[in-house]
Amino acid sequence: MTNETFDVLIIGSGHAGGMAAKVLTESGVRCLMLNAGPVADVARNAQHKPAYELPYRGFKPPGRLEHVFQASEFNANVWVDEQEVPYTFDAANPYNWVRVRLFGGRSLFWSRQSFRLSDYEFKGKSHDGFGEDWPISHADLSPYYSRVEDIFQVSGAMDGPPQMPDGNFILDEDPWSESMQRFMAAGKSFNMPVCKQRRALGRDGLASSVNLLLPDAENTGKLTSIANAVVRELTVDKNTGQPNGCHFVDRLSRREMRVKARVVVLAAGTLESTRLLLNSKVGNSSGLVGRYLMDQIYGAGVTCSVPEARNGKATKELMGGGAIVPRFRNITTKSDAFLRGYALNVTSSIGPVHPRNFATYGAELQQKLQEYHGSSFYMTIMGEVLGRYENHVRINKDKVDAWDIPVLHVETKYTENEYNMAKDAVEVGSTVAEAAGFEVLSKNIVPNPPGYSIHEVGTCRMGDDPKRSVLNKWCQSHDHKNLFVVDGASFTSAGWQNPTMTILALSMRASEYLAGEMSKQNI
Amino acid sequence: MLRRDFVRAVVSIGFAPRLLLSQQTANPAPPPPAPVPWTLGLNSKTPLPHTEVVDGITETERRFFTPVQMAVLVRLCDLLLPPIGDKPGALQAETPLFLDFLIGSSPASRKKVYSGGLNWLDSESQKRYKRPFAKLDTMQADGILKPLLRTWMSDHPPTEPHVDFINIAHDDIRTATVNSKAWSDVSSAGAQASTAAGLYWSPIEPDIHAGNSDCTRMPAHVIAAPKATHSIPAYPR
Repeated sequence: MTNETFDVLIIGSGHAGGMAAKVLTESGVRCLMLNAGPVADVARNAQHKPAYELPYRGFKPPGRLEHVFQASEFNANVWVDEQEVPYTFDAANPYNWVRVRLFGGRSLFWSRQSFRLSDYEFKGKSHDGFGEDWPISHADLSPYYSRVEDIFQVSGAMDGPPQMPDGNFILDEDPWSESMQRFMAAGKSFNMPVCKQRRALGRDGLASSVNLLLPDAENTGKLTSIANAVVRELTVDKNTGQPNGCHFVDRLSRREMRVKARVVVLAAGTLESTRLLLNSKVGNSSGLVGRYLMDQIYGAGVTCSVPEARNGKATKELMGGGAIVPRFRNITTKSDAFLRGYALNVTSSIGPVHPRNFATYGAELQQKLQEYHGSSFYMTIMGEVLGRYENHVRINKDKVDAWDIPVLHVETKYTENEYNMAKDAVEVGSTVAEAAGFEVLSKNIVPNPPGYSIHEVGTCRMGDDPKRSVLNKWCQSHDHKNLFVVDGASFTSAGWQNPTMTILALSMRASEYLAGEMSKQNI
Repeated sequence: MLRRDFVRAVVSIGFAPRLLLSQQTANPAPPPPAPVPWTLGLNSKTPLPHTEVVDGITETERRFFTPVQMAVLVRLCDLLLPPIGDKPGALQAETPLFLDFLIGSSPASRKKVYSGGLNWLDSESQKRYKRPFAKLDTMQADGILKPLLRTWMSDHPPTEPHVDFINIAHDDIRTATVNSKAWSDVSSAGAQASTAAGLYWSPIEPDIHAGNSDCTRMPAHVIAAPKATHSIPAYPR
C-alpha cells in the first residue's frame, strides 16, 4: 500500500539530516529521508587520473560552476550545476552558492575544522550590543558538543581561551615546529592565542554523515531513504493548517510523487531549507524567513617565507604543522574599526612556495622556487559576518530550476565591518610574521565573494520571541510545532567558527527534544 | 475441415514452426538469425582497447585567436616558461594551442581578458620597438613584461588593465604546461612542479533531461559579475 504515513519526514541527508535520522530512529521513531541527489560510490563513479587525461588539463570546465571557486575539472561533477539549479543576484553583488546534492551533501567534502561557538557568539549582543543573543548558551549546547566530538573523533589540545571552548578531544600532543614557536612568541604582543588545530578525524579517512551517522540509523531498521527526490514544496493539512508531508519529483524521470508524515524536519542546508519554506508559504508569521543571511569572510591573508628554511635547509624541526588563532579582537579590548572578530588559519609547510609569490618568470622564477622551497608560512582569515536584516534571500517567481521549482534570489553584501576586519587581519598577520623574522611575500585584503566560505547560516534564525525569530531554541518553528529546521538556517549569529560542530550539536539536541515530545504525545 | 479446425491448425502451425521444419528435413539448417542476447556480450573478461591521449600525436587546430594574437601568445609562452633543465617548456607542451581551445570555449569575460591582453602586448611592442611582439628579443620583451608582474594570492589576481592579463596568463600558461603529458613524461625533482593528479569524478547518474528544460533556455542570470566598486575579484576562474 503506498502513501503510508511516516512519523518523521527528513529532507536532506548531510550532517544535519544524518544526525536527525540517527537520533530519531535510535529513539524508535520511523523516519523517511528524502535526498535530492544520488548516492556517490567512489568505486563506480571516480577514478585516479593525471590532469593530461582530462579534456581541460585540470582547469575548471569553461562556463561551468563560475561561482564555485573550489571546483576543478577533477571534482566538477560533484557540485550542484548552476544551470540546473540556478539562483539570481544583482550583478553588482555576486554570491557564491556552493552546493552538493549527493547523498551526504557537503559532509562528503568538508574541511574537518571543528570548533565550538562560545558565549562571545551565543551572547554576542550582551557583549557588544549588536544583533540578537541566541536563546541558548554554550552551557546548553556543551553536552551535545561533547557527544558530537566523540562521534566525529575530533583531535585537538586543551589550549583554547574562553572564546574557543575546549572539548572532548583526542589529544594532539605533537610538538610545535620552531617556526610556529617563533610566530607564537611574536603574537604575544597582540594577545594572540595560537592553538593546535581542531579537526574531525572520523573513521577510515572520512568524517561524514554517510559513514558516521546514517549507518547507525539504518541499523535500527527504522529509516527508509529515497535518493533523487527533489522536493517541490511542503504540503499542509487543510483542516489543521499543519505541515503533513511534501510533494516531490523524481530527479531523473520527472515522476511527481507525495509522501505524508506527522512531523517534518528540514535539513536541506540553510538556503535550500529556507527556499522550501518560502515556496511552501509555511512557517513565516514573523516575516523573517530569508532574513539575516550570514557567512564568514575568507580569502584575505598573508604568505611568507622562513629564511632559515631556504636553500635546502628546511627540516621537520623547523617547519611544519598548523595552528588556529581564535578571535582575539574585541575580547578584552575594543576595536574602533569593527565589531566581533576573526580567526587565522596558520600553516608552516616544508613543501613548495607558489610561483605567484614572485614577480618574475622563466629561469629566474625557477631559481626562486628552488631557493624558497620548504620555507612556506602562510595564514588566511575566517571572519565573522554580521547578521543584517537587509542581507536576505527571497523567491524569484520569474525563474525556475530544471524541475520548474522557483529559484532563490540572493541579495547580500559585505560592509565596512567585514572589509575593516580583513584589513586588520592582514596588517596584524604581516606585523607578527615580520616580528618573527619571516619575509612577507604576498598579501590580500579583499575577501572572496559572500558565500565562498560554504558556511552560509541564518535565514531562519532562532529566538525566544516569535515576532523576531522563525524558530525557538529547539529549532522548532514558532508557527508549527511539528516543523523543525535543524541545519545552519537556525543560527542567530555566524561567529568565526566553522559551523559544522554546531549544526551537528543543534540537530542532535533538537531531535532528542522532538523524540521526547513525540513519546509524550505532545506532537 | 470445419473453419474452427482450420483456424486451430493454422494457429498450431504458427506456434511450432521449428517442430515442423525439423520433422521435414534430415539435416536441420542453422537456426535463423533470431535476436541474439547482445547485451550479455561485453563482460569483465573482455579486453579493453588501449588508447592514448592526443598530446604529441595530433595537432590542435586554431579556432579562437587571430593569427597575430596566436603569434604573440606563442612568444609569450616561450618567454614565460621556456624549457629549463630536463623539463619541457610551454611550446613543447603545446600550451598555446591548448589555451586557444580553453579560452575559445570560455565565457565572454575571459575571452576579453586574453584577446585584449594579446592585442595590447602587440600594440605596445609596436609603440616601443616598432616590431611585433612575436619578433622581440628577450631583453625587449622583458622591458614590457617585468614591470607588469605582481605577487598575488589565489582567486585575487591583479585587476588593473593589462596587468591582469599578464599575471593571469602566466598562471594559466604554467598550469597548462605542468599538467601536460610532455611535462609528466619527465620526472620532477626538487622544486620542479608535479603534474596534477587525483580522483576524477565522472557524472553521477546524469540528468539527461536537463538540457531540455526551460531553465537552460533562459538568458544566463548567473553571470560573472563585472568589477564591483569594492574590488571583489571579478575574474571568472
